[in-house]
Amino acid sequence: MKIECRDVRKNYKKKEVLKGIDLVLEKGKIYGLIGRNGAGKTTLLSILSAQNPASFGNILLDGREIWENAEALSHIYFAREIITSSNSNASGLKVKEYLKLAETYLPRWDKDMAQRLTELFHLDRKQRITKLSKGMVSMLQIVVALASKADFTFLDEPVSGLDVVAREAFYRLLLEEFTETERTFVISTHIIEEAADIFEEVIFLHEGKILLKENTQDLLEHSVYVSGKTEAVDRLIQGKQIYCPEVLGRSKSALVRLREGERLSGGEGVTLQGVNLQKIFVVLCGGEERV
Amino acid sequence: MQELLNQEKSIYIQIKEMIETDILRDILLEEERVPSTNELAKLYAINPATAAKGVNLLVDEGILYKKRGIGMFVAEGAKKTIQKRRRENFFETYIQGMLTEAASLGITKEDLIDMITTERGNQQEV
Repeated sequence: MKIECRDVRKNYKKKEVLKGIDLVLEKGKIYGLIGRNGAGKTTLLSILSAQNPASFGNILLDGREIWENAEALSHIYFAREIITSSNSNASGLKVKEYLKLAETYLPRWDKDMAQRLTELFHLDRKQRITKLSKGMVSMLQIVVALASKADFTFLDEPVSGLDVVAREAFYRLLLEEFTETERTFVISTHIIEEAADIFEEVIFLHEGKILLKENTQDLLEHSVYVSGKTEAVDRLIQGKQIYCPEVLGRSKSALVRLREGERLSGGEGVTLQGVNLQKIFVVLCGGEERV
Repeated sequence: MQELLNQEKSIYIQIKEMIETDILRDILLEEERVPSTNELAKLYAINPATAAKGVNLLVDEGILYKKRGIGMFVAEGAKKTIQKRRRENFFETYIQGMLTEAASLGITKEDLIDMITTERGNQQEV
């Protein structure tokens, strides 16, 4: 099973939010979707789940268009952030009513699981959603996402507002469900570093385009921070793909992304260091604001 | 099993080295089953594919072997093999860096040997 998205574009009035997305999501992987505010993450996920029409392009599940295709859509669930403002759909509902609603429109709903997770997170079923804290709302979103049992489950900012203990609990629950079922999860997050090891692949979405989609471990292995004497560093990084070179006095540093088969060996006066995913993201997507 | 701590090394290398260290310390014995990739994934909150990558490196090196449908096991002679390889790398891993640092600090080889034989730091003034 796979979702394929071909040259997907989305305009809101004159603003082009997605500028030609080509993407394949395979069954049995956890993807991290990472991008800055306004990069188009939520729009992309809502289009991939046919909650929102694309302005152009196709989204296919195993070669068949998903738009208005109930069978295809029964395999896909997008758990968007639950909006609790007074004019939203969820606002007047109690937790148990929200879960009941999810049960009616999610064909693979696992009621026992929803029950178990609600208790685990100490969610009060009688509480109105508007009365829940931000973290509690995220928990509800997580409960519905996991209990949906959809083969392709997208979670938009599931850990926002969660404390560190609840976040770790979520990562473990996610891995437990993943190892047992081989469902596909796409998770968008701004808390990159603590989730990095969960993602088999990361997708950087930047200004409506996919900047990078790569196996997380490969990306980390191929990114090296080089620093040392300017001449020595220059010799080493010549001809390489470099980002953010900085010179300070006699020293120079830069991030190098190695191409397939390329290697770097440290020499006298040069230090090579690994970098984390967050740093790579900031370097690649930070642009002018990076200081 | 230890904690995953540092960011310097790839996670799958750390998984590999942790299993090796557990074998060296007799925490994992030869012919014993090692934790599955799913167990490792849940324990360390990492992707199972990453855990599998570390485990598979050990299979390639003959440290672990697969029993169909049961799991991964520590091979006979695994401890010796790991010791041999780590001894071969001992110079690069531990000594080389020490020599470089000692040279830039002006610590002589005699001082170093003295520290090793007495197992005490060098207190003299520079």
